[in-house]
Amino acid sequence: MSGSVTIVGVGMIPMGRHKASSYPGLAVPAVLEALRMAGLSPRDVQAVTCGHAFGGMLTGQRIVKEVGIGGVPVLNVDNACSGGASALHLAARDVAEGRADVALAIGVDKLTQFGGGTLPLVEEDPEVRAGMVMPALYAMRARRYMHERGETPDLLARVSVKARRHGAANPFAQFRKETTVEEVLAARPIADPLTLLQCCPTGDGAAAAILVSERRRRALGAKGAAIRASVLHSGRATTGFRDMLTPEITERSAAEAFEAAGLGPRDLDLIELHDAFTIAELIYYEALGLCGRGGSAGLLRDGATTYGGRFVVNPSGGLLAKGHPVGASGVAQVVEAVWHLTGQAGRRQVPGARRALTHVTGGGISGMDHGACTVHVLEAVA
Amino acid sequence: METRHDGPAGDAVTDALAPIGDLATGERAEIALRDGAVMLLGARSASSGVEAFPARAICPETVARDMAPAEFGPDAVLYAFSTVHVSASREVPYTLGYVDFPSGLRALAHVRGEGLRCDMPVTLRADEGGWWVEPAADAS
Repeated sequence: MSGSVTIVGVGMIPMGRHKASSYPGLAVPAVLEALRMAGLSPRDVQAVTCGHAFGGMLTGQRIVKEVGIGGVPVLNVDNACSGGASALHLAARDVAEGRADVALAIGVDKLTQFGGGTLPLVEEDPEVRAGMVMPALYAMRARRYMHERGETPDLLARVSVKARRHGAANPFAQFRKETTVEEVLAARPIADPLTLLQCCPTGDGAAAAILVSERRRRALGAKGAAIRASVLHSGRATTGFRDMLTPEITERSAAEAFEAAGLGPRDLDLIELHDAFTIAELIYYEALGLCGRGGSAGLLRDGATTYGGRFVVNPSGGLLAKGHPVGASGVAQVVEAVWHLTGQAGRRQVPGARRALTHVTGGGISGMDHGACTVHVLEAVA
Repeated sequence: METRHDGPAGDAVTDALAPIGDLATGERAEIALRDGAVMLLGARSASSGVEAFPARAICPETVARDMAPAEFGPDAVLYAFSTVHVSASREVPYTLGYVDFPSGLRALAHVRGEGLRCDMPVTLRADEGGWWVEPAADAS
């Protein structure tokens, strides 16, 4: 990106089951909170991007018309679970390339409209027609991981235990009760070896971020988080062999993001990664370069990815505990990161956090690891 | 319809512009029986050799329109699998797995049988209700 882009305002609503709320009902409080933190009014917003997967037509316009934002470009983005982060990516482009000094990125989704169960996937896809559901895709990864690494399900359960422990300190998390390895393994099976407590919940949520140009940031005198890298990729399809433990889309996106930021994994204080299912966290430790290939089990067991460790992975509780209203998650991860980078994360503050990475993938379609992947690298600016 | 352009593009609807009928699965068999063995009916590009299941019209790597019918099986290897207990789309439980054919093609299959493990040899089977894979007779 050419110009410097800084996030100076963020907001989200507590994730949970909010059946009485419309998409605007979910998103408006998050938008207003982001504006409040930025010290800006709705009239200052010059561009809006809105990521969602199930909001229907004109979701972004339906939201911002409730707060007096209009007459500016509003772009709606579907990229499955990467929708929110894709919206952020587009907003960052708008600011970096000089189309806007103030841009609003929204992520929102309401999964309770479906009444529970697995996420409805696109029936046109041949694997979906054959019965593919998201838990099955991740469960196959888990099966392969255990096979190749000689691991057992208790390792997977440890991911949930950590996520719930982090989530217990996050008032915005859908699940705030700690759990144990035994409890996780004894929960009902969803797609074996994954049990219910190893799967992200069905829920509703919204998050928003205000991005400004350097000129505007100086005028505001605002602190926040500079976007050092914003990378969006699609998957590469193959009709043949894919190594399910090496998701190329995440490896490629992360490597590009680190290069753009001029930083490496060791420079990070916290990471919010796409732990939609327990196995994902282990696989992404390796794909993001937090450890070498084969090092993920040891990294988790050694406590390197929690408080007191090398970096804190998913201080929010991640998708497993905080919740995963799909299109909202990419922005919610960034909200969490900005809170830490500006010292506003309260009880779960990562001490002295200066740099963060957020990572979210998107989608289950045949022939590729994921349809989309978005990685952002953020750095505190005082 | 015309098969190739011999006039202005805006005045010629060629065969290449016909929508691809990829949802008409009911009209296209997924398997065939060969001497008692079940074979998966996919496609292979005559020029690139790229294979696909389900069959498709255009090579996804070179966009050549030379995907010819090709048969795969009956032997394959089970790469990974999971028994699904919650599904948005069908009755549970059922077991899905990725199977790799010797030529390199991968397919998502329903899996039956006991003692499943990764890298186990499997064989295609079928009845009136559909096709699946199960552990090969000599799998230990």
